Amino acid sequence: MNRSQERSMREAVRAKGSGWEIWIASLGCLLGSSLLILAVQLYQDSNRFFDEQVSPSNFFTLNKKIHGGALVNMGKGEKTFTQEELDQIEKMDGVMRTGGFTRNKFPLTLYIWPSGKVGLGAAAKTDLFFESIPDEFLDYVPDGWNWDENSSTVPIIVPKFYLDLWNFGLAPSRVEYPTLSNEAATGMPIELFIGNNREVTLEGRFVAFSKRINSVLVPESFLSQANEKYGKPDASQYFFLWKDGAVDGPPRTLGFLRDLPEEQKQSGEVSPIDSPAERKPISEILAAQTSDTHLPSRIIVQIEGSPSDAFLAKLEKEGYEINREFPEQDLVKKITNAIFLGMAIIGVLFSISSIATFATSFRLVVTQASEPATNLLLLGFPSDSLTKLFFQRFVLIFIPVFLFALVLGFGLQYLLSQVGKKVGIDMESGLSIWTLVFATIYCILFLVVNRAAIEKSVDNLAK
Amino acid sequence: MQIELKSLRPYPIPDKFIPDSEVWEKNLHIESGRKCLLSAQSGKGKSTLLHVLYGLRRDCSGEAFLDGRSVFSNTAEEWEALRKTRISLLFQDLKLFPQLTARDNLGLIPETNPKAPPVDEMLAQVGMEQFCNQPVETLSFGQRQRIALLRALRKPFELLLLDEPFSHLDEENTDHACRLIVETVERNQASLIISSLGDDPPISFDERFRL
Repeated sequence: MNRSQERSMREAVRAKGSGWEIWIASLGCLLGSSLLILAVQLYQDSNRFFDEQVSPSNFFTLNKKIHGGALVNMGKGEKTFTQEELDQIEKMDGVMRTGGFTRNKFPLTLYIWPSGKVGLGAAAKTDLFFESIPDEFLDYVPDGWNWDENSSTVPIIVPKFYLDLWNFGLAPSRVEYPTLSNEAATGMPIELFIGNNREVTLEGRFVAFSKRINSVLVPESFLSQANEKYGKPDASQYFFLWKDGAVDGPPRTLGFLRDLPEEQKQSGEVSPIDSPAERKPISEILAAQTSDTHLPSRIIVQIEGSPSDAFLAKLEKEGYEINREFPEQDLVKKITNAIFLGMAIIGVLFSISSIATFATSFRLVVTQASEPATNLLLLGFPSDSLTKLFFQRFVLIFIPVFLFALVLGFGLQYLLSQVGKKVGIDMESGLSIWTLVFATIYCILFLVVNRAAIEKSVDNLAK
Repeated sequence: MQIELKSLRPYPIPDKFIPDSEVWEKNLHIESGRKCLLSAQSGKGKSTLLHVLYGLRRDCSGEAFLDGRSVFSNTAEEWEALRKTRISLLFQDLKLFPQLTARDNLGLIPETNPKAPPVDEMLAQVGMEQFCNQPVETLSFGQRQRIALLRALRKPFELLLLDEPFSHLDEENTDHACRLIVETVERNQASLIISSLGDDPPISFDERFRL
């Protein structure tokens, strides 16, 4: 068929009155395609964002629940995890690794000098505790974190919200305390007083503020040495020694019990100071203490992604308590994904209706041109050539609309990425290769469905 | 193209027309290259017969064969091929494309008959050369009829079916058209069937049938 014939054929089958249906179908196609492309792209962007974040949702701390009031718990020892419990937690689905918190075993008081110089202005004074965890669980290892016996200062990491509490709670209410930037806070000298009577004084400094770990952290090397050097046994390590059916003298330490003659260890009895009536053989107490001495009462757990509901339910069932930051993060991710899913559903609905509207419109176009189209078939033109003619007309409308939808999707994604950057969400601008692959498949689907609809309509005319 | 009819009868033809008909419910054999005239009053099935032979109607009893093959057994693809290269039909309602010019209408055929005279010569022969660039919708019915006739002649054919081709032509134009028809049919060594309301066009027919 030559060009002149093609032109004549197009002219012959041009029908009037089908314009508005095609305009509506084009608009639906534009909205649906743009929305779908944008939803697919933003879904990838949000997933990448959540995956790349060093998110607290991957880490949480775990301890056993504490029940009862102060009087009940007074003098009771730590609720430590047993080795079996730790092994069980390590084996849970999604758990990548665990690490134990080590706590200070000595009284500790801090003087923080916000003026930047010891003795200048007012110091913030507080009794405090230290903990340490393996370095791999830190948000990052800050400069100056290493400590050895020759170090002049003890590096300290505190939760970021401590600084926020200072800046937005304490400082505004006390004229002698200034608000502090991160840099200013890390420059503050800190005096560490160890012992009830402040027998030892050390220098300390904040080196970082953690968003992940809700504790006051010092290097493991410092804490293990300080515990060894200044540590005092806690209440759980004091026992009443029983002799002839009565308590014999003041509470005794584990060290004292260990030093008793072997014969007395086997025959003698002791009871914990918080429950004096529970007498047990000395040998049993020593065996239990030997195995539990280094077991933590609080652990940090790293898991893959966000914890599942089943995982959380299991922890709850075991009587463990977890820090509560990640469910909110998880909720944000779920809400974000739900929004994109909603967008995708609306996009799919728009697209389906636009495919259907296009298909219906072109069936109508064929029907409206049925008389000249039938005449062409009667002259001996093959039905394929007519299908091709109507399909070309569809392609001439659809492809520009689709390309415009791609540009629109690209533009909207670019705008959103710029807005995201302003609020600290780093998104890449532009459409990913997967979005383009999706768009291509979608375009092919659109073309195939509409070609089939046109072909069917022309075949009906031929019959 | 050889044509054979065996007891053919379209369902819509009333019984009263059947006994007097020389075609319906009769056995006919028309050899290739014969020129035939079908004459009858309106409503006796002239167009119906031509449409049966062109594959547009199947509402008949009996059989019709083209070159020994039943027209009722042809598939859609086979009819497509037959209409493209072997049979040409001038419809009574012409089936032209009104928004196209006369010349564009003549060009809008799937294949051109190499044995037909050139377009301009044909147009001149029927007195239409000065109207050829006008849209068909601006032409009179007689002029349109001549354009539709030329289109039918420009398609390749072994069988030419013309349904009342001179109904709106004067005597002079009918003569010119008949000369062109005979010339083209003979060049193609084709069979010809012309239907007429009773007028006898100036063509030397080999066979005449009354419906």
